[in-house]
Amino acid sequence: MIKFFKDIFVASSTIAQGMSITMKHFLGAKNRIATLQYPEERWPRPERNIGFDHGSYNVIRSRLHVDMDDCIGCLKCERACPVDCIKIETVKAPDRGEDIKDVKHVGITSNGSRKAMVVTRFDIDMTECCYCNLCTYPCPEECIFMTGGPNSKKHPIDYEFSEPDRSDLIYRFAKPGTKEGMDKLADDNKAEA
Amino acid sequence: MTVDFIFDSLNKFFPDFAGNSLFLILSMLIPIGALLGFITVYGFGVIYSEIKVSSFMQDKTGPMGQGPGLHAGKWGLLQPVADGLKLFMKEDIIPATADRPLFILAPFLIFIGALTGFIAVPFGETIIITDMNIGIFYIVGIGSLAVIALILAGWSSNNKWALYGGMRSAAQIISYEIPAGISLVAVIMLASSLSMQDIISYQSGGIFNWIIFDNPFMPIVFIIFFISTLAETNRTPFDLPESESELVAGFVTEYSGTRYALFFLSEYANMFIVCAVSATAFFGGWQSPFPNFLNSPAWSVVWMLIKTLSLVFVMIWIRWTVPRLRVDQLMHMCWKVFIPIGLFNIFGVAVWTVMRG
Repeated sequence: MIKFFKDIFVASSTIAQGMSITMKHFLGAKNRIATLQYPEERWPRPERNIGFDHGSYNVIRSRLHVDMDDCIGCLKCERACPVDCIKIETVKAPDRGEDIKDVKHVGITSNGSRKAMVVTRFDIDMTECCYCNLCTYPCPEECIFMTGGPNSKKHPIDYEFSEPDRSDLIYRFAKPGTKEGMDKLADDNKAEA
Repeated sequence: MTVDFIFDSLNKFFPDFAGNSLFLILSMLIPIGALLGFITVYGFGVIYSEIKVSSFMQDKTGPMGQGPGLHAGKWGLLQPVADGLKLFMKEDIIPATADRPLFILAPFLIFIGALTGFIAVPFGETIIITDMNIGIFYIVGIGSLAVIALILAGWSSNNKWALYGGMRSAAQIISYEIPAGISLVAVIMLASSLSMQDIISYQSGGIFNWIIFDNPFMPIVFIIFFISTLAETNRTPFDLPESESELVAGFVTEYSGTRYALFFLSEYANMFIVCAVSATAFFGGWQSPFPNFLNSPAWSVVWMLIKTLSLVFVMIWIRWTVPRLRVDQLMHMCWKVFIPIGLFNIFGVAVWTVMRG
């Protein structure tokens, strides 16, 4: 008989305890919620150090980026790529080191080199890219790089690759020029040849 | 009450056709339409709050969105609409070996039980479809119609899980009818009427006249009644008939689409009915908690909804706190705990009433 009432007491007190916990969570939900509204809010990216020295070896290989204003069209990255995911097409610039407005060509790089070639196509297929980072070492102008790490100053890190279509993952870095400009460039090259 | 009122006003507005039998049908159809609309709106609301309350209790956000079309509307407000649309657009599957007529009948039967229960629910001082002189008895009786539907659904599915669910629901609901009834007997002894409006008018005049504060036995009576109604509506921790971790989905295993939606909606409608009965029998129904404070017919609807929906919230709160009982624990709780205490309460209330004079 005593056990009967003791059991009832234990049951009601433990249920009351549990319900007070859930109510506490319900009322304090605003401060406790762990869910992140993903596209609007993101977790901060963790600092990552994979090398010996933080400054120079902290390479996060998130995605390739090309600074087209600095690209001189030397094709070294294309040759270095082990999976051939970089496609570059160039034409000779009519005047070395001169800007061409129509095709958005900048004559002089940030390192001071005068460009001899106009890059008309610079495509990187990120579905094929194996993130080996080999293309970035030969670049004389350091214009192709993986975003993230020390390169975060040059280009913001971006690791979210989802696209509605697979062809959207082919990044076309060459700036599209006007049609007249491109035609004129091609004609000039033909005439010279 | 409402039917008579609509019939009389129709006769008054159209004196040329007074006494037309069409008016009688119309005055019955109008409350039914209003009731169906109310159940739908309430269903959407309570499903949304169930999702949100459960999420907040688990430190989640629940459905969130930025606007209609994106995710589920602002704060996920359109989530129940999306759920409903999904259920109504699903293929209607009837298993080949199922007992076809009974399989089709079961969801309608349970919905009829839920819908007809609303007839005697006093929504307000004047808003009650029929104030029967056996109102509370009628609701208890109609409420046990659900057990037929559940066992029908379980058995006609020709599925072992469903059959187990149906059998469990039969054992559970029939057992818990008894403590619920015993608890109501104590209330009826005080109010000396079975009519819902009479029980409410017995509690008029402020919070201390409510039956739950009438004598020291009533809080225990209320707790027994509330837990028994939890078991009758198959809510956690008494959701053994559809215990999803043991019986797939119990008696609704074979149901899909609209039929499943009917079961789902009936569960929530039954929740409202039993909470309305709790509010009526213990918390003064549509009475204001303070004498002569916001005590008009319009405010009575607000008070009734506040009381009922708070009890519905408590049901949701319990669902996300307490784990499911074992079958033997369920039966032990009913037969060895609730019924003896309930009978003792009846005795206590009787003695108290006699002594008080």
